[in-house]
Order: sequence, then structure tokens, then C-alpha cells
Amino acid sequence: MDEITEGTSQVDCDILVIGGGTAGPMAAYRAKKKNPNAKVILLEKANVKRSGAISMGMDGLNNAVIPGHSTPEQYVKEITVANDGIVDQAAVYKYAQNCYEIIQELDGFGIRFQKDENGDFDVKKVHHIGTYVLPMPNGDTVKKALYRQLKRARLLISNRYMATRLLTGKDGRIAGAIAVNTRNAEFLVVRAKAVILCMGAAGRLGLPTSGYLFGTYENAANSGDGYAMAYHAGAGLANLECFQINPLIKDYNGPACAYVAGPFGGYTANNEGMRFIECDYWSGQMMQEFYNELQSGKGPVFLKLNHLADETIGEIETILHEVERPTRGRFQVNRNNDYRHGMIEMHISEIGFCSGHSASGVYVDDNACTTVQGLYAAGDMASVPHNYMLGAFTNGAVAGEHAIDYVNEVDFADIDEDFIAAEKERVLAPTKRDDGIPPNQVEYKTRRLVNDYLQPPKVTRKMQLAQDRFAETRAVMENEMVARNAHELMRSLEVSSILDCADMAAFASLFRTESRWGLYHNRADFPERDNENWFCHSILSKDDAGQMTIKKKDVDPYIIPIEDEEKDAYDKQRIKAQA
Amino acid sequence: MPLAQQPSSVPVVVDEGKCIADKGCTVCVDVCPLDVLRISDATGKAFMKYDECWYCMPCEADCPTGAVTVNIPFLLR
Amino acid sequence: MSAFEPFEQFDEVDDIIERLEDPDPGTRRVAIMDLADSADPAAVAHLKKALADDAREVRLQIALALGEFDGPDAAEALLIALTDSDSGVAQAAADSMAELKDPASADPILPFVGHDSAFVRAAALRALRELKRPESLKPALDALSDPEASVRSEAVSVVGYLKTEDALPALMSMLKDADAGVRRTAAGALGFSVTGAAADTLAQALSDTDWQVREVAAETLCKVKSATAIPALMQALTDDYWQVRQKAIRSLGKLGAVEAIDDIAPSLDHDISNLRKEAAAAMGEIASPKAVPALEAHLDDPDPDVRKNIRWALGQIRAE
Repeated sequence: MDEITEGTSQVDCDILVIGGGTAGPMAAYRAKKKNPNAKVILLEKANVKRSGAISMGMDGLNNAVIPGHSTPEQYVKEITVANDGIVDQAAVYKYAQNCYEIIQELDGFGIRFQKDENGDFDVKKVHHIGTYVLPMPNGDTVKKALYRQLKRARLLISNRYMATRLLTGKDGRIAGAIAVNTRNAEFLVVRAKAVILCMGAAGRLGLPTSGYLFGTYENAANSGDGYAMAYHAGAGLANLECFQINPLIKDYNGPACAYVAGPFGGYTANNEGMRFIECDYWSGQMMQEFYNELQSGKGPVFLKLNHLADETIGEIETILHEVERPTRGRFQVNRNNDYRHGMIEMHISEIGFCSGHSASGVYVDDNACTTVQGLYAAGDMASVPHNYMLGAFTNGAVAGEHAIDYVNEVDFADIDEDFIAAEKERVLAPTKRDDGIPPNQVEYKTRRLVNDYLQPPKVTRKMQLAQDRFAETRAVMENEMVARNAHELMRSLEVSSILDCADMAAFASLFRTESRWGLYHNRADFPERDNENWFCHSILSKDDAGQMTIKKKDVDPYIIPIEDEEKDAYDKQRIKAQA
Repeated sequence: MPLAQQPSSVPVVVDEGKCIADKGCTVCVDVCPLDVLRISDATGKAFMKYDECWYCMPCEADCPTGAVTVNIPFLLR
Repeated sequence: MSAFEPFEQFDEVDDIIERLEDPDPGTRRVAIMDLADSADPAAVAHLKKALADDAREVRLQIALALGEFDGPDAAEALLIALTDSDSGVAQAAADSMAELKDPASADPILPFVGHDSAFVRAAALRALRELKRPESLKPALDALSDPEASVRSEAVSVVGYLKTEDALPALMSMLKDADAGVRRTAAGALGFSVTGAAADTLAQALSDTDWQVREVAAETLCKVKSATAIPALMQALTDDYWQVRQKAIRSLGKLGAVEAIDDIAPSLDHDISNLRKEAAAAMGEIASPKAVPALEAHLDDPDPDVRKNIRWALGQIRAE
């Protein structure tokens, strides 16, 4: 069982999609639909049937731009303001214009969105600027419906293959990828004219407060492999200092989904049962307010539903306990929690990278192209901010449709056999040792260091110490880590991604000498926002010498102008509230 | 340095009386995103081999015979 | 050495069906799952035939497997499973049938709206709703007088999805139904009527004995453009349930009911902050200077969401 067998096979294809969660299946499906003669491979570390952030579905869309309820222009404005202005609007605008068509396509797949009694989408009002919440009462069907479409389209699906590195040609173009089977450690070299990375968040970066390595906010399979692979291929990564931190149910570490309860009248409250969030948008500012309340005498923070009618609570319970993280219900039963009586204790998540909820990701333009020719990225790992599930579907489609045209114009880039040989040696190194440190211990230590030194508020000296500790841990990982079977080998490769992400998190955070995005990049020794010097993206990459480097990049001129007054919407509100 | 085996109470429990892995079923093993389930060579039934659970539940939801139960891992219960 | 194929192999249907003859029901069950996984439409005929299996668990698996397919053939097979002697099998078939998307699937289902069993009638209507075939209207209208509430409720949904003005009188009559669930569904279904014909009926529903019916009526009234809606909604501001008042306030806001401002204002003092927030938002939607004194008196509400809505409302009024 899980024994290591040596072996390598090679396949060629037009497009290789890596990651079978949300964006990946849509990218592969749309590419194949646009050109049925193309050879499209969907590679997945787990099994496409139930992989990714939405393995158990989703309870709703919270960024649905539906005609009659909100406009793409409104949406772009809100996302721009929520990200403190550091947004290239073209990609967000494209998402906002395309997402309704994607909702309709998903509806056609049999994925259920809440409809009113006339069969029209029942969009829920959350705040007055825009209306974006569309519940999914049978959201548990998402993956099933998606997989059904992939099978009908006869896509080539490779399950249980973990991609480890991208291949690039001498001209810098993408040439394919190398992957290893997670059950027997056999290699698969895929030559491809284009590669689309859809590998999810870096969700195993911080350590959850429970100490359980896999008790993460994100699907624990999302260990940041895509971020690491893009980095090693020379792609630029944007704004990695803008961490993801989310509100959650304390200890359970899954979303409390106040946004699901919101339209029903539930909300996030302090220990007095009062609302305290001033911020209008899901943003780092909102998380800063959450954090402040947690630390204050009015903490901790709770999900409050007990003022609602029994019937209403029953409806919320059905959604929260059957979809996305259905073990939520089981957790509450263990704790003797009943939404009808007490409030449910909430907390904040460990840190991670995830554009789905914040803004850090592999830099992409409005066609999902990265800075490496022929390499695309979509979903939680690409830099389009506040994507959520619908953004993954929509931008996955954008990537697939662009890539399928691109591959018509190019031939395979040449493959560097020496690189492949060196990569195989790197991958298998832990299996060649009979003794050493197992991956789970290297991982625990790395993630404990992330918590100790990188969790905001960020402090310069602490982050420098983190870099020293990471370097020591890396030396152990490279020289002493031992994997006894193919499964442990997968974990050891994940540790390598986690450590790469930890290094990038520290490096990017040290670069931006200001505070921005609320809690996400709250630097205790640079507490002010500095628009004069830092109204820009940071783009991290690997230079020709193999060293980590970072530079500023201008924010593209806005397509949808933002008035000065709108930019400072929150700040003004807070001052008024205090006055 | 030798490696120690530390005991750990696993969250996923399989009712062997109901499990039909010995008839060729591999559903729970297939759907696990963390790939922690295996079919035992000794019993022909599914079991949790690695304590690396996201308590996400596809194994339980997709099991055709209702043989799988996902408990919340003790550390966060 | 055979060529290595790293891709998922969906087994050929012909290979799988041999295992349907296996004496072990567990093995047959796994074969059914493989047929579902094949995604090959040729599997449907085999699944249908296999519904004669003695083992209930095999038939249950078939009912689930059929949900992976679409079209009239899949529907026909599901209709057999729907009348299975085992209630679990029948329920699974009903759920799978509701997944059908191909409008042609409706053809074999339509006659089952007149079936002897109420369970079958309700399941047939539930499947027809999503398929939105005009031919469903007549049987659905007939089913509005079904003795079973579950059937009537599904029938109301079918009619509501079809959005036919001609069916309005029949839908309106359902607000007198004995069952609160049916009345609630019917109140929501009237939302497509833009001629105002449904307004009086919805207004009457604001005094329904069930609060959730009143809530849906208050919510739906803003969709039907009619002058009679506003006085009725103002009346609903005295409802015992704050949830009904909340929806009434929201609708009054959307309708721009200037005359309701004085009646909405007291809600700015209610204990439940959701209601205060709704009142402030509605005043912003109405955007009349008349609301300024009431709003300004509550600028220091303890709830930040209420304060935000009050500031927003005042901004809206100033912008007018």
C-alpha cells in the first residue's frame, strides 16, 4: 500500500489544467467546448469528484452581479474601495460582466440557486450599495453536477497526480509540467503548449489555534503548491503581504457564514449582543475591526441568531449544516450549542494566501495570463481580488477560452531533460533516506513559526527572525526529511510549498513599509497608510540568479473612476461614529 | 533516530458490517481530498489510515451503504 | 508492456452489465455505481431493466444513478422507480427526477400528475416545475384542487414558474387554501403579476392567520405595481410580528411611499436593530425631506449598521 515504484511516463497535450476544484474544471470544460478537437488534460492531486474548496458544495454566492440587482460598474467600485484602491480594474470588470452568464450556465448544469416562486433568481439584499448574495439551497450538488459535465465532455482527467514543478523552454515560454503520483510515486511528464494553474489557496500556511495541522479554514489539500510552482517558473506574484484572514467558528475553524445569516437578520455581535462592524465591505478593514473587538473588553465575538423566529433559525440551520462544511452541525451538537438560545463563539482564522477572500495571488491580467508566456492562473491563487467561488468559475472560463486560441498559434516549447532529471532527484530525495525528520514535524514547525512571527500586527524584527528560522528549517527539509511511502512523499512536497509560501509572505511583508488593507497588512512599526510611496502593487518573483526579488508596479489607470469621497468612505464613517 | 508511533484517535469510523469495499466499492477512498482512507488488505474493508482529516464529509455523504461516519477530530471538538 | 494511460477510464457499459448478473447484491450495486460513472447514455436502458432486481439496495442505487442522466428515457426509468414498493427507492427516484433539465423529459412525466398516489403526483409536479413546459399548465391547474396539500403546493409552484397571466385567478384563489404552506407558496407566486390584478389578494393575505404567509405577502407586494399596495402595507406596520413589519417597511421603501414616513418612524425605536436598520434604509429609498427630523434624532443609535443606514438615508435625501 502506497509503496514507491520508480517510473516515468510522458504525455503531450494542447492545454494542461492543473487543479480540479472550481476554476480548473471550468477552464478545461470551456477550452474543450470551444475546440472539441483539442487535447485538454485536467490534472488533480486528489480526485476531481470531490476536490477543492467546494468539495461539499457552497451555501451561496456572495458576489453575484445580476442585472436588475447590481451593475458591473457598482461592483468594480466596491472591490476597488474594499482593496484600498490597489486594484487593476480590467480583470474585475471582466469578471463582473461575465459572471451572470456563468451563473446561467451553472444553473443549466443542474446546480441550484435560490429562486423565488416564479423561478427567478432570488437575490438577497445585504447592503444598499449593491445586492450580491444569491443563496444555493442545494449547493451540495455543485461538484457532482460539474463532474457530470466533465464526463459528458469526455475530458481527460488524471486524478492523484501532484504537479511539482512547471517546465519552461529556453525562450521562457511554458513547456509543460512534471507531476508525481500520490499513491506510487511514479512520475508523469506532461508537455503542453499552455498550462492553466487552478491550484487553490495557500491554506496550510498558518497553524490553526487547535494545533491540528489539517483543521484549517481552507481545504487542507490546498497547501499553496500553485504559488510555489508559479514562483519557481519565474512568474510574478502580486501583493502577497495582503494576507487572508477570515472570521470563523472558534475551534471548528470553518466559516460561520454571517453572510448567509445576514439576509435572514443574523449578524456578528460582541459579548453584549451588539453589532460592532463599521465597515461596509468584506475587507481587511472589517477584519481589523473584528480583531480589535476580540482583543477588547467587549470580546470575544459571536454569531447572533437568537433574536430570530424559530422558523427562520430552522432555515438558516438547514443551510449551514448541510452545505459547504456540513460537520458544522455536528460540532455545535458536541458543544451543546443551539442558535435559538446562546450565541456562537467566533474567532479569526490562521493566515493564508487566497485571492478568493483577499487579494494576494499569482499576477494575472484580464485574460488570466501570468507574466510567463503560455501560463495562466485562475481561482483562489490568481490575483483578481475577492473572487470567491463564482470568480473561480468565471475566471477559469476566461483562462480556458483564451488559452485554447493561444495554443493554435504556438508549438511545443523545448523541454530541458536535465531539469527533469534534477527535479526527479529533488522530489525523491526524502524517499532515499532511512532516517530523519518526518514531513509532519517539519510542517508543524514551519507553521508554528508563521504564527509566531508573521501573524499581524506585523513587526519588522520578528519577520526578520522568521526568515532566519525558515532558512534553518529549509536546511532540515532539504537534507534530513524522510518519507517512507508515496503518501508521505506527497506530504513532504506540500511542506516544500508551505515553506516557499512562508518565505514569500515574510519577504513581501517586509517590502511594503506602510500599513494597508486593515489587519491583512497591519505593520506595527509602520502604522500609517502611505499613498505617496505605496499606492502600487508589489510584485514578487524569482530572479535569474534564483533569488527572491520584489518590485513596485503601478496600479493600472481606473476604468471606473472612484471619487475621493468614496475612497475614504470608511474612515469618514468611523470618525463620525466616534464624534 | 528511530521514529515513534504516537496514538491518535481517528475521526473517520467505518462500520465494517455495512462496508462493501470487498465487493469492489472504492467510493470513500476516491472522494477523500486528503487521501487518508484505504482498503485493508486484511479485512477488505475501508479504514482511516492517516490522521489528516479536514472533517469535510464526502466519504460519509457518498458512501452508498451509510457505513462511514465523520466525527470532529478531538483536538477541535 | 501496455501503453500507460494516466487518465480516468470510464468502463465500457457492456463490460459493466455482466456484473449485474452477479448473485451478490453488493457486487450488483457497485456495478450500478460504475454505470452511473460511465456517463454513457446507453447505460439508461440497462438501469431501467435492472429495476426488476429483488434487492432494495440495488434498486435504491439505480434511482440515485439515474440522476446522472437526462432526457425522456431517464425520466421513464425514474417513473418506474417512483412507484417502487420501497419508500426509500421511491424517494430517491423523486429526488433524481427533480434534477432533470431536458424539457423533453416532461413528456413521460405529464400523465403521472393524475396518478393514484399523492406522493407520485407531488414528485411529478416537482420535476415539471424546473422543466417549464407550457403543457404542464393544464394538469397543474387541475392539481390545485388536489386533496393533498403537498400536491397543491407543488402545483402552485409549477403555475408560478410558468408566469401565465391567465392563471392568475386560479393562483389567487389558492390564498384561501386550508394549508399555510400552500398559501405561502401562492403568495410568492403572485409576484410576476405586473398588472396589479393580484394586489388586492396579496393585501388580504396581510391579515392571514399565519405570520409567514403575511411575511411573504408583504415582501411580494412591492413587485406588483398597484396603488392599493401602499395603504395595505401601512396597515401591516402594526403586525404582531416584527418580521412582517420589516418586510412591509422594505416594500414601502421600494414603492417610494412618502405617505408612510410617519408610520415607519416609530420602528426607529424598536428593540430589534434589524427593524431599525430597515426603517432607516426605507426612508433613504423614499428620500423625502419629511423624514429628516426622525432620522437625525437617531444618528447616535447604538448599532453601527443602523447608524450607517441613517447616514446613507440622509445623504439620499440631500441628493434629491
